[in-house]
Amino acid sequence: MTVGSRWPGRVRIVGVLVVLGVAIFPLYWMVVTSLTSSAGLFAPVPRLWPDLSELGNYPETFAIRPVGRWLLNSALVATGTTVLSIGLALLPAYALSRFRFRGRGVLGFSLFATQMLPEAMLVVPLYAVFAEARLLNTLGGLILANTAFTVPVVTWLLKGAIDAVPIEIEEAASIDGASRLGIVRHVVAPLIGPTLAAAAVIAFFHGWNEYVFAQTLVSDERLRTASVGLAGFIGELSTPVHSVMAVGVMYTLPAVVFYLFVQRYMVSDMTAGGVKG
Amino acid sequence: MSDGGQRERGTAYWFVGPLVLFLLALQLYPLLQEVWLSFTSTGLLTPRQQPFVGLRNYTDLVEAPELRETLVVTAVYTASCVAASVGIGLGVALLLDSPFRGRGWARALVTVPWAAPPVAVALIFSWIYNAQYGIFNRGLRLLGLPQGTENWLDSYQLALPAVLITTIWQIFPFASVVLLVALQGVPAELREAATIDGAGRVATFRAVVWPTIRPSVALLALFATIWSLRRFDLIWLLTQGGPIGATNTLVIELYRRAFVYRELGPAAAIGVVGLVLALVATVVYFRAQRRMEAA
Repeated sequence: MTVGSRWPGRVRIVGVLVVLGVAIFPLYWMVVTSLTSSAGLFAPVPRLWPDLSELGNYPETFAIRPVGRWLLNSALVATGTTVLSIGLALLPAYALSRFRFRGRGVLGFSLFATQMLPEAMLVVPLYAVFAEARLLNTLGGLILANTAFTVPVVTWLLKGAIDAVPIEIEEAASIDGASRLGIVRHVVAPLIGPTLAAAAVIAFFHGWNEYVFAQTLVSDERLRTASVGLAGFIGELSTPVHSVMAVGVMYTLPAVVFYLFVQRYMVSDMTAGGVKG
Repeated sequence: MSDGGQRERGTAYWFVGPLVLFLLALQLYPLLQEVWLSFTSTGLLTPRQQPFVGLRNYTDLVEAPELRETLVVTAVYTASCVAASVGIGLGVALLLDSPFRGRGWARALVTVPWAAPPVAVALIFSWIYNAQYGIFNRGLRLLGLPQGTENWLDSYQLALPAVLITTIWQIFPFASVVLLVALQGVPAELREAATIDGAGRVATFRAVVWPTIRPSVALLALFATIWSLRRFDLIWLLTQGGPIGATNTLVIELYRRAFVYRELGPAAAIGVVGLVLALVATVVYFRAQRRMEAA
C-alpha cells in the first residue's frame, strides 16, 4: 500500500500519460523538425511525425558548420572535467568520511557554499584571472573552470558512498599492512564503483552542457564547443531550421541516451547523497 | 592512540590539500576579486587597471530605476520556480509512487528533460514559440485563440511566462525524483493505520505523509531558490532579459553589464547583491530547519 494507490486507476493512467507527453514532446519535436523537408516546415498543417527520407539533413550540417569540431571540443572539455573532478575529489571525500581533523566542518560547508555562486557571476573575476594566467582561449582553462563547479558535488557524492562502506573491511586490509592510499585505491574505490560512475556521469555532462564559460572565456573559433556553436543558431535566420535541429539532436542525443542507461544508479545516488547528506 | 590520531590528522591534511588549494584558487580568490571589483570601475578590455571608486557602483545601482524592476523579475521568477518545483514535483511523485505496469519506464522517461542540455532546450523552445511556424501558436490558432499570432518571447506580458514554462519543464524532473525518494520514507504501517481509522485521503496526506517529506520539501525549496538565482543560459538564450527587461533577472543584468557594456565594476556590484540574496535564503532555510527540529 503506497500513497497513490487509492487514486482511481484510469485517472492515474491518464495523468501518467499526460506527464510523459509533456516531458518527451519538446525533444520529440526537435527530432521531427530535423527530419522535415523545407517545404514541410512551413506547410499549413504541421507534420507530427518524422520523414525518414530527410535523413540527409544530418550529413548536410557538417558542410554548413564545423559541427564535428564542436562536438569533439565538447567531448574533450567534458572528459577533462570528469578526470580532474574525480582525481581531485576521491581522497578528500575519503578524508571527510573517515578522519576527524580541524577545518573539516569548514571544508564541508564551503563545498555546499559553492552551490550559491552563479557561474555567470564568477565568470567576471575569472575572466580577469584567466587573462593574467594566459588561460583565456584554452580548453584547459575551460576544464579548470568547469571542475571548480563539479568538484564540490562529486566530493559530496563520493563522501556519502564511502560513509556506507563498513569500516571493518578497511581494518582487515590495514592489518595486512596496506597503506591508507592503498586502501582507498584497492579497497574503497572498487566498493563505491556505482557512485564513482554516477559522479563521472554528472561531471561529464556538466562539462558537455556548460555554456557561459565556453562562450566567455574562449573566442577562438577552432576551440568552440557544441553548446556555443548551437547557441549561435538561436535567433539566426539564414540556416535552415531542420539543419539547426539536426545539430541540436546530435548534441542532445548522447546526453539523453546515456542518461537513460545510467539513470537507475544516478537517481538513487543523487538523492541519497543530496537529501540524506 | 594519540600518536595514531596525529598521524591520521597528517594524512587527512595531505588528502584534502590539493582540493583546498584548487578551491582557493578557483572559487575563493575569484570571489574576493568579485567583491573587490565591485568597488572599482574596471573595464572588460583593461582588466589590470582597477581604479577604486568606493561605493559608487552600489549607489548608482540603488538610484537607477532598473534595479527595482530587475529585483521584481528575479523574485517572480524564483518564487514561480520554487512553487512549481514543489507543486508539480509532488504531483508527479505521487503519480509515480504506487506500482503499475511500466512504472520503471515511466520514471525514467519523465526525468529525461533534466538530462537535456540547456542550450538545446533553449533552441527547441525558441522554435516551439516561433510566431508563425511554432507548434505552440499553431495549436492555439487551431483552438481559435487570439494569442496564436505573436511570439511569446517577444511579448512584454508573455515573455516571463514563456521563460518560466521552459525552465519548469527542465527542472520538474529533479523535484519529482527528490520527492519520490522522500515518499519511500513514509512508513506503510502508519498509512494503513490512518486508513483503518477512516481518515480521508487529504487527511492521511496531512497527518502522515507531509510530516515525513517536509524536510525534503524544504531542502528542495532551498535548492530551487539558489538555482533560480543562478540560472543564466536558458534565460539569456531565450530572451537576453528582454523585451524591455521583462525577463531581466539579476544574473542576466550582471552578464550584460560585464560583457555587453564591458563594465566589470557595476557587474560585480550586482553579483554581490545576488550573493547576499542567496545567503539570506540559506540562513532562512537553516533557521526554519532548526525551529522544525526543536518543535
